[in-house]
Amino acid sequence: MEFLNFVLIFAAGYLVVRRPEREALAFGLAVTSTLLMVLLFLIGTRTSLLPGLNY
Amino acid sequence: MKREPFFVLLAWAVLLLSVVVLGSAVFVLGFGYGDSPCVLCWAQRTGMTLVALMGVFVLRCGARPRYLGWSVLLAAWGLYMGVRHSAGHVVRDVGQGFSVVLFGAHTYVWSVFVFWMCVILMGVLLLLLPESVRTRALRPLRPLDRVAMWAFLVVVAGNIVQAFASTGPPPYMGQSDPVRFSFKPRYWVWSTEEWAPAPISRRGRWAIERPSLDGLATNPAEAPITTTGTLDVSRRLEVRLPTADSVTDLVYDPASDRFAVTTAHGVYILDGTLERVLRHTVVDPGFSVDMDEFAGAAFLDPHTVLALARNKSYVVLREAERADPVKNYRFFLESFEAFDEVARSRFATVRSKLMYVMSVAYEPDTQSLYTVTVPNQQVHQLVVSRVDRRDMTLSEEFLPVLAQGSAVSLRPGKRSLNELYVTGATAADGRLYAISAAYGLLLTIDLASHALVAAYAVPGADRPTGLALKGEALYIVDEGGAVSVVARPDAGR
Repeated sequence: MEFLNFVLIFAAGYLVVRRPEREALAFGLAVTSTLLMVLLFLIGTRTSLLPGLNY
Repeated sequence: MKREPFFVLLAWAVLLLSVVVLGSAVFVLGFGYGDSPCVLCWAQRTGMTLVALMGVFVLRCGARPRYLGWSVLLAAWGLYMGVRHSAGHVVRDVGQGFSVVLFGAHTYVWSVFVFWMCVILMGVLLLLLPESVRTRALRPLRPLDRVAMWAFLVVVAGNIVQAFASTGPPPYMGQSDPVRFSFKPRYWVWSTEEWAPAPISRRGRWAIERPSLDGLATNPAEAPITTTGTLDVSRRLEVRLPTADSVTDLVYDPASDRFAVTTAHGVYILDGTLERVLRHTVVDPGFSVDMDEFAGAAFLDPHTVLALARNKSYVVLREAERADPVKNYRFFLESFEAFDEVARSRFATVRSKLMYVMSVAYEPDTQSLYTVTVPNQQVHQLVVSRVDRRDMTLSEEFLPVLAQGSAVSLRPGKRSLNELYVTGATAADGRLYAISAAYGLLLTIDLASHALVAAYAVPGADRPTGLALKGEALYIVDEGGAVSVVARPDAGR
């Protein structure tokens, strides 16, 4: 899944550099990548979402 | 073309983040040294890459508000990720951690620093934002801009290669303990272990409820262990305090023939008959150390009392004849002249870290303070902790075991000593006597062998909160102040 995420980021970056008229699509890919990153982190931390400390 | 400081600084920032941070992570640590990020590290690296990507967007298309806003949100999420990841490791012993150390800190700590720097840099960039920046037109690119953007793409390409090898395509994802990176496919591990069902929790193992006597079984016949015998109550007394608060512990000092009694925040000194209150105070629980509620007391000498809270915070009070009430205003809520506060701190433990305690006992021969844990929904262990009185530091923690050849044994079924709920303790002659509110048992633990050598049923021991030894008699107090006196089971040993 992380592999997919970096593919999305590469696609977004390449579009905005080489095809800036596709900026809207590029930004959409960046947002999608962000949401996927959040999902993967939450999957990895779902058993203790808050930092594991004494509050 | 006019050079605008905003875009010059941004281009350098994208270059720095891409090449130095992300580039070294993948090309040096990854391909060079074989370091593979764990699932949390991958998310943080992705977050940094996305921040750099937003920089590329701004370089190409101008400082549009949504790029700036999304960057701030990414950095905020990145700070949470870094703190969440670091928290579990920064509390370990010095030098310990997870995976690689760079310039004196582990990579997850550097993650917090990087995202923090991103936030600071975003603030600086906003200060430098040109007035005329808001435009839909594409920016004309300078050489520095092109170098930054292409360096970014090269680094992302490197991450694609490493991520494919280390985590695989969907549905595979990163692992908690990744193996060393290799370009050889036979060493690749593609795993779906992170998708395994697991309970969702905010605090995880730190979600520990406060102790309570409610709902505890009280019948000794239902106890997890057989008993050595029964201790009959020979006398009943009553502790009368000038407060309606529940009594939380009782302790006796033979040298001065006096008792100390605690309530949630009060410390009371009574005479040897428990009929007269000689002096008292109420500690301010909110000053400095979080004092929680007192659950145990011990005389350290005839004029010095330690009161221990459930969270293992404590105060040490010394009787004073002419205490300074102004100086003591900060420590106490009542009776500013009765005591001086000598110390206020906490016991730090290891096995007991995720459990509360409801007792403390002092063994003067070894200058040791003993506490006993009460179980909770997450952690079910009976742990005895020993703290050295001289530096108030943990010296030992043990799990009591059943003595070989004793009359005490586990009852059939999955029974355990961990079902006991010790609410009072006292120590003498190398033995720890403890009263369990669960099943109404008086326990005897040999402090040298760590063995539970005896367990006696105490009929009618309802919601006991304290235990004191006076001569050859044990005084068991309940939260209402009623005292049941029983004979010390191994008197004359």
